[in-house]
Amino acid sequence: MLSLIYTRRLRAAAVGLSVGALVLTGCSSGGGGGPEASEDSPSESAPEQAQIAFADAKASTGPAPEVPGATPGGTIRVLQRDSYSHLDPAQIYVSDEMSLATLIHRGLTGYRMNEDGTYAVVGDLATDSGQVSDGGRTWTYRLKDGIKWQDGTPITAQDVRHTFERQFAPFLTSGPTFVQQWLAGVNGAEFRNLLKDGPYQGKHLGNDVLETPNDSTVVFHFKDPQPDLPFALAMAGYSVVPKAKDTKQKYDRAPVASGPYKIADFKANKSMTLVKNPEWDPKTDVIRHQYVDKFAITFNHQYEDSSKRLLSDSGENKTAISFNNSVDAASLPKVLGDAEAKKRTVSGFQPYVGQFAMNMDRLKDKRVREAIAYALPIKSVLQPYGGPPSGQLAGGLISPTQAGYQKDYDPYDKLKKPEGDPARAKKVLEEAGKVGTKLTFAYVNTPEGQQYSVSVASALEKAGFDVQRKDLPADTYYDRIGTVDNGYDIYHHSWGADWPSASTVIPPLFDGRAIADGAKNYSHVNDPKINSEIDRIKKITDQKKAADAWFELNKYILEDVLPAVPTYYFKHVQLHGSKVGGVVFSDVVNGVDPTRLYVVR
Amino acid sequence: MWRRFRRDRTGMVCAGVVLFFFALGLLAPVISRLYGKDPYTLYGQDRPGLLNEYGYPIKPNGGIDGEFWFGIEPILGRDVLTQLLYGIRTSLLIALAVTVATVVTAIVLGVAAGYLGGRTDYLIGRTIDLLLAFPAQLFFIAFLPVVVALFVDPQDETPTYVRVLALIAVQWFLGWMGLARILRAQVLSLREREFIEAAKLSGASPWRIIHKELLPNLVTPILVQATLMLPNFVTAEAGLSFLGVGMVEPTPDWGRMFAIGAKVYQNDLTYMFFPGVAMVVFIVAFNLLGDSIRDAFDPRTTR
Repeated sequence: MLSLIYTRRLRAAAVGLSVGALVLTGCSSGGGGGPEASEDSPSESAPEQAQIAFADAKASTGPAPEVPGATPGGTIRVLQRDSYSHLDPAQIYVSDEMSLATLIHRGLTGYRMNEDGTYAVVGDLATDSGQVSDGGRTWTYRLKDGIKWQDGTPITAQDVRHTFERQFAPFLTSGPTFVQQWLAGVNGAEFRNLLKDGPYQGKHLGNDVLETPNDSTVVFHFKDPQPDLPFALAMAGYSVVPKAKDTKQKYDRAPVASGPYKIADFKANKSMTLVKNPEWDPKTDVIRHQYVDKFAITFNHQYEDSSKRLLSDSGENKTAISFNNSVDAASLPKVLGDAEAKKRTVSGFQPYVGQFAMNMDRLKDKRVREAIAYALPIKSVLQPYGGPPSGQLAGGLISPTQAGYQKDYDPYDKLKKPEGDPARAKKVLEEAGKVGTKLTFAYVNTPEGQQYSVSVASALEKAGFDVQRKDLPADTYYDRIGTVDNGYDIYHHSWGADWPSASTVIPPLFDGRAIADGAKNYSHVNDPKINSEIDRIKKITDQKKAADAWFELNKYILEDVLPAVPTYYFKHVQLHGSKVGGVVFSDVVNGVDPTRLYVVR
Repeated sequence: MWRRFRRDRTGMVCAGVVLFFFALGLLAPVISRLYGKDPYTLYGQDRPGLLNEYGYPIKPNGGIDGEFWFGIEPILGRDVLTQLLYGIRTSLLIALAVTVATVVTAIVLGVAAGYLGGRTDYLIGRTIDLLLAFPAQLFFIAFLPVVVALFVDPQDETPTYVRVLALIAVQWFLGWMGLARILRAQVLSLREREFIEAAKLSGASPWRIIHKELLPNLVTPILVQATLMLPNFVTAEAGLSFLGVGMVEPTPDWGRMFAIGAKVYQNDLTYMFFPGVAMVVFIVAFNLLGDSIRDAFDPRTTR
C-alpha cells in the first residue's frame, strides 16, 4: 500500500487578517511547555508480532464471541476525512475503504482477533482458511451454508467464480492484482491476457485455473506454490460480487452487501448511512457483530476537526468515532496529557515503514551510503509528524506488524543514536576519500518536510557532504521520486505491507527486475542475490520458515547492499466518544475495528 | 516641509519605530554575534533537556529563559530571537527591493504615458488595465515555482538569491500599475499648465521638461505612495512564505514563523507572540508614517 501522507494546505490567504488574530492569541498568557513526559512512555517498543495462524473449520464457525458488555441498538456517528471513491470491492485498495468494507463486504477468508489479542486467518464465507494440496499449488474452499446477499439470494460458488473472473476486466484498475497474477502465472500487467474482457463476453477461466465442481466448492490451481493465498483472499479487494447483480462500472456506486450492514444512502463527499442487513446471519460469521442499528458517516472532517470534536465529548460527539482519522500532531500532547481523554484513545501500528531510499544509480560507493546511514537523524524525521505517538524508530525494514520482526535489530546503531552519528559518518567518508561528495536530497515541500529537511541536511553537512536540498511539491512528490532518471540521491518515502508478511514489502521495493518509472523500487537496487532470494523465499510454504528467510534477506539488504535506511514504523492514535464501546485497535485494518462497536447505554 | 513633519508627534514616533526595524534588520548579524546565538543551529536537537518528547520546549512560556530570550522554536529547537531578527532582515530586504523596482517602473511608464500621450498612452494604459485584472495572490502562488524552475538545474539546490529574485520579480510585475496610473494623471494635468508651455516655447528638450519641470512636482505622490506600498509588500512576502511558496528552510523568514506558529499554537502559544507583535507594530507604524508624510507634504488634504 502506498502511503500518501501530505497535509492538505487550504489556508486562508488573508495574511494581514490572520496576523491580527495571531497577536490576539499570543496575548492570552504563555502557552506553557506542553505536557511532561507521560508515565507510560509511548516510546516503548512494540511486542514482536506473533505468527498469524491459518485457522481450521472449528475456529471459522460462527457466531463470533460476544463483546463483553455490548448492548444492541443506537446510532454511531462516524467522522471521516475522505469520501469513499470506490465501493466495488475489486477497486478497493486504500485503508479507509478497507475499514468500510469490513462492515458491508465479505470474502472467502478474513482476519479474526482472538481473545488474547493475536490474530488468525479464518474462513469467512468459506468453512476454513483453505485446504492446500499439491505442494501449495492447489487451494480448495468450501462455502458455508446460509450465506446470503442483501436481497436474500444465496451466495454460491458461481458468484465466487464471477468475482475472480471480473477482476481481469479492463475497467477494474484500482484493486490488488496478486491473485490474478498468480492465476495467470505472470508478473506485471500481462495477467489480463488470461481473460481479456473478464466474463462479460461469455468466456470463462478454464478448470485448470479456477474450478467450481459444485455450488459450494471453489478450487484454485496455480502454476507456482502460493503459500500466502489465505492472506491475499482476506483483502477487501477480493470480497465477493454477485453474478446476477453485477452492473459493471455502476457497481462501484451501489454494491450488493454481504456483510452485517448495507448502504441505505450515499451522497459522495457528504455523507453515508449504513443500516442493518437483515439477511446477514450471525451464525455464519465468526468475525463480525451487528450491535449498532445505524452508522451515520460524514466526510470532510480534517484530522484537526475530528480531534477537536471528539476531545470535547459533547452532545452527539459522545457517540462519535472515526474509523481512520488519527489525532493530529498538534492535538497529541493535549489528548495524551489529559487522563480522561487518554482513556478514550486507542493506538497502534500502521503498516507503513518510512525509509530513505538511496539512488543506487548515482551513489555507487557503498561506503558513501554507509556514511549517510550513520549520519541520518531518524528521530528528527519523525519529530515534525508528532514524535513517539506517531511512530517507532526503526532499525530494520520489517515492521512490527509483520511476522519475523525483531525489535533489537539495529545494524547502523540508529536506535542507540537516533540523532545520527555525524562523527562516525565523517570517519567512514574520510576512509573512502569522498569528503565533499555532492548529495542531492529531495524532500516534500510541506511544513513537516521542510522541518525534517533542515535537520537531515544539517547532519549530513556535519558528516562532510555537500548537501543540495531540493524541495518537491507535495502532490507530485511520489511521481517525481518514482521516475528512474530522477536525478536525486536520497529521498524519503514510506511503503506498507498488504498483509503481515514481508512478501509484500521486500519484492516491490528491492526486486531489481521491477525497476521502471512509477515502480516502487525507489533505490533502483538490482542485486542478483536479492533477486534470486526473492524467487526462492516466495515459494517457501512453511510460514515460519518464510518469515525467518525474509528477515535474513532484510539483513543482507541492509548490511551488504544498503539501498535504503529505515527511519520509523508508522503509528497513530485514535480518539472516540465516551459512549462508544467495544473500541479496539485492529492491526489488520490498522485502525479502529468497526465490526465490534456498540453504543454504551 | 521638514518642520511641518517634525511637529507631527505620531509621525516622529512612527518614523523612529520604522527606523528601529530597519536598524534591527541591518544589524541582525551584529546583534546575533553579541547575543551569542545564530538562527541556524538546532539547539533543541543538539542539546538534550530543551525539548520534550513531542518536540515542544520543556520550560514554560515557549522556553524563555536567560539564555534564549524569546524562547526556542518547537521541533527544530532554534533560537526565536535570532530567527525573528534574520526573518525581519529577509522580509524588509525583499520588500525594499520590490518598492524601489516598482517605483522606478511606475515613474518611467507613468510619466511616459502622461507626457507623450496618444498611442504610447493607449498602449501603456491598456497594459495597466490588463495587469490590474490579474488576481495577484493566485498569480504569485502559481508562478513562483515556475520562475524558480526556469533558472535552476533540477539537480542543484535552488540558491537563496534565485528565490529572492523570483519573489521580487513576481511582486514587481504586478505591483507598479497603481502608482503609474496616479503619475500619469498628474502629468496629464501638469502638461497643460503654463510653465510647461513656457518651457516648451523656450525650446527645452522633452528630457529637460520631464527632468526639471515635471519630476519635482511628482515627488510628493511618489514618496507618499512608496511609504504606503512598502508595508504591503512586507505582508505580501510574509503571506507567500506562510503559504509555502516564499522562502524555504533554512532561510529565516518572518512569514514562515507565522506558518509554524499556526501549527503549534495549541501547545506553544508563546512562539507566535514575538513575530506577531513585531509584525503588527511594524505595519501600523509604517502606515501612520505614510499618513504623516502625506500631511507634511500636502497640508491641504484633510483627513
